[in-house]
Amino acid sequence: MKNDVIKLSATYTKMIFRSWFQYKVDAILRSLAVFMREATSIIVIYFTLTKFDSINGWNIYEMLLLFSLVYMTYGILIIFFTGLRDFGHTVRDGSFDRYILRPRGLLFQLIFANADWFAAVGHGGLGILLFVISAAKLGVVWTPLRVLYYVFAIIGGVLIQGAIFLFLATLNIYLLETNMLKEVFYWNMRKFSGYPMSIFHKAIQFVMTFIVPFAFVNYFPAQFILRKDDMAAYSEIFMYIAPFVGIVLYMLAYLFWRFSIKYYKSSGN
Amino acid sequence: MSFIEVENVSKTFKVSKRSAGIPGMIANMFVPKFEKKEAVRDISLSIEKGEMVGFIGPNGAGKSTTIKMLSGILCPDNGTINVNGYVPYKQRKDYVAGIGVVFGQKSQLQWDLPVIDSFELLRAIYRIPDDLYKKNLDRFVEMLDMGGFINQPVRQLSLGQRMRSDIVAALLHSPQIVFFDEPTIGVDIIGKETIRKFIKELNEQDDVTMLFTTHDMQDIEQTCKRIIIIDKGKIMYDGSLAEIRSKYGTTRQLIAEMNQDMEVASIKDIIIEKQDNRKYSFTFDNQVVDVNRLMHTILDTYNVKDVTVNEPEIESIIQKMYNGEV
Repeated sequence: MKNDVIKLSATYTKMIFRSWFQYKVDAILRSLAVFMREATSIIVIYFTLTKFDSINGWNIYEMLLLFSLVYMTYGILIIFFTGLRDFGHTVRDGSFDRYILRPRGLLFQLIFANADWFAAVGHGGLGILLFVISAAKLGVVWTPLRVLYYVFAIIGGVLIQGAIFLFLATLNIYLLETNMLKEVFYWNMRKFSGYPMSIFHKAIQFVMTFIVPFAFVNYFPAQFILRKDDMAAYSEIFMYIAPFVGIVLYMLAYLFWRFSIKYYKSSGN
Repeated sequence: MSFIEVENVSKTFKVSKRSAGIPGMIANMFVPKFEKKEAVRDISLSIEKGEMVGFIGPNGAGKSTTIKMLSGILCPDNGTINVNGYVPYKQRKDYVAGIGVVFGQKSQLQWDLPVIDSFELLRAIYRIPDDLYKKNLDRFVEMLDMGGFINQPVRQLSLGQRMRSDIVAALLHSPQIVFFDEPTIGVDIIGKETIRKFIKELNEQDDVTMLFTTHDMQDIEQTCKRIIIIDKGKIMYDGSLAEIRSKYGTTRQLIAEMNQDMEVASIKDIIIEKQDNRKYSFTFDNQVVDVNRLMHTILDTYNVKDVTVNEPEIESIIQKMYNGEV
């Protein structure tokens, strides 16, 4: 059974790569374009920030650590959760009906049939580059505990965002269109998360901690190493639970999905 | 209990109602108005194993909704559906492993890849054993003459070739039931002919139960013995094709071609029309006039070269039905 699942996910992955390599140049350019696009925005921020010494006590390399976590988690995220990110589209064009007609788990199909490997290389590559640069500049000492913490924090960060996508995808079943919600609750929060959370208004801090908990994707994990002064405003526990928030959140989103999928309405012809 | 059992099934959709103009649009954003649309109303039907049933009706009649409920995509608001011992929308995974669905409007093939790659993916999805996969593939490829394009990317195929590939894709796992939703749409005549022949053969040889919707009456006439006509969510007719002809279409037309130019005398209850100097049509109601007698009369009286009897097109009968004439 387990073997069979691995075999199918491998077949899906093979298909995705084959489809992409029908247009080889396009595939490679896509990775490169994603990398360049995102890197450009980072470079702009870099030069803007060199005008200041620090923001709320965070220097540029400490902030790059925040960015690197966003990009690394996003790189992994779109390997597994592109199907959920684009779920609205899948429903509207009727493709989701086809998933229902196949004797496999719906989430399983959504995940493995839609992995976006090439964009993942762009985002993930940038994330790793930023991470390496900032860790080196900051002189981070990698103890086994820190390595372990970061492995779980990254997995947790992926799951937090995966849970947001899954939650919004589930809302789609009721509303048929959730792009605006995704814009507000995912993309905007993601932009905020590139900066130390303490610079924002209390309301935004609250949202980023308890509603759309992007703070657990990068801010608290970064604090685990950096221990900046602004951490005093938050409970220490947040740092330690960061790797586990994703697991809990994803499980909640999954239950919501399981409950709601019964109400799915096909979009019809 | 029958193989497919549908009892008192209804399905209503909530459709958002748009008010006209910009003020209406803005009002809609805050207070969306919904309109209930009854797609299917209280439908009951039963289908036996191995039957081939044509499902016809105008656009928006509820055909697709019914197919979607039968295949487990939608669950009915009221009533029960049981297919081969399963409740489609409840036991989804077990149920869909034994059915095949072809949507003529929506391909399930991988657009950029050769047809065979899509088949390989389905083989993994349905866990088709190697020997069965090979047997089915070889057989279908030969029956549908697909050898020439099976290694071509789907995007390069003609519509007819793509449709044939899609049909095979739905059959590789040897389903016991196949639902076709407009399997010949947009396909040219030769392509349609190939598809119909294939569907018919499969139904006869493998005892596969088939249900299909179409707009093309030729599809139904050439493949199905039984038809179900649906309009505005209700079943208008459920029975044999022959019966609907005898019940609703009792008008027949006999065409006689003579060996030489001649005039024809009038006969009781029959409308005679001269098509050219040698060709006449005799239109009559076959419940009033006996065809055999008429034929004898004509053959005895005139020097006839050729006689043909035309049955009414099922299309015109259904047209009459929609118009409420019968």
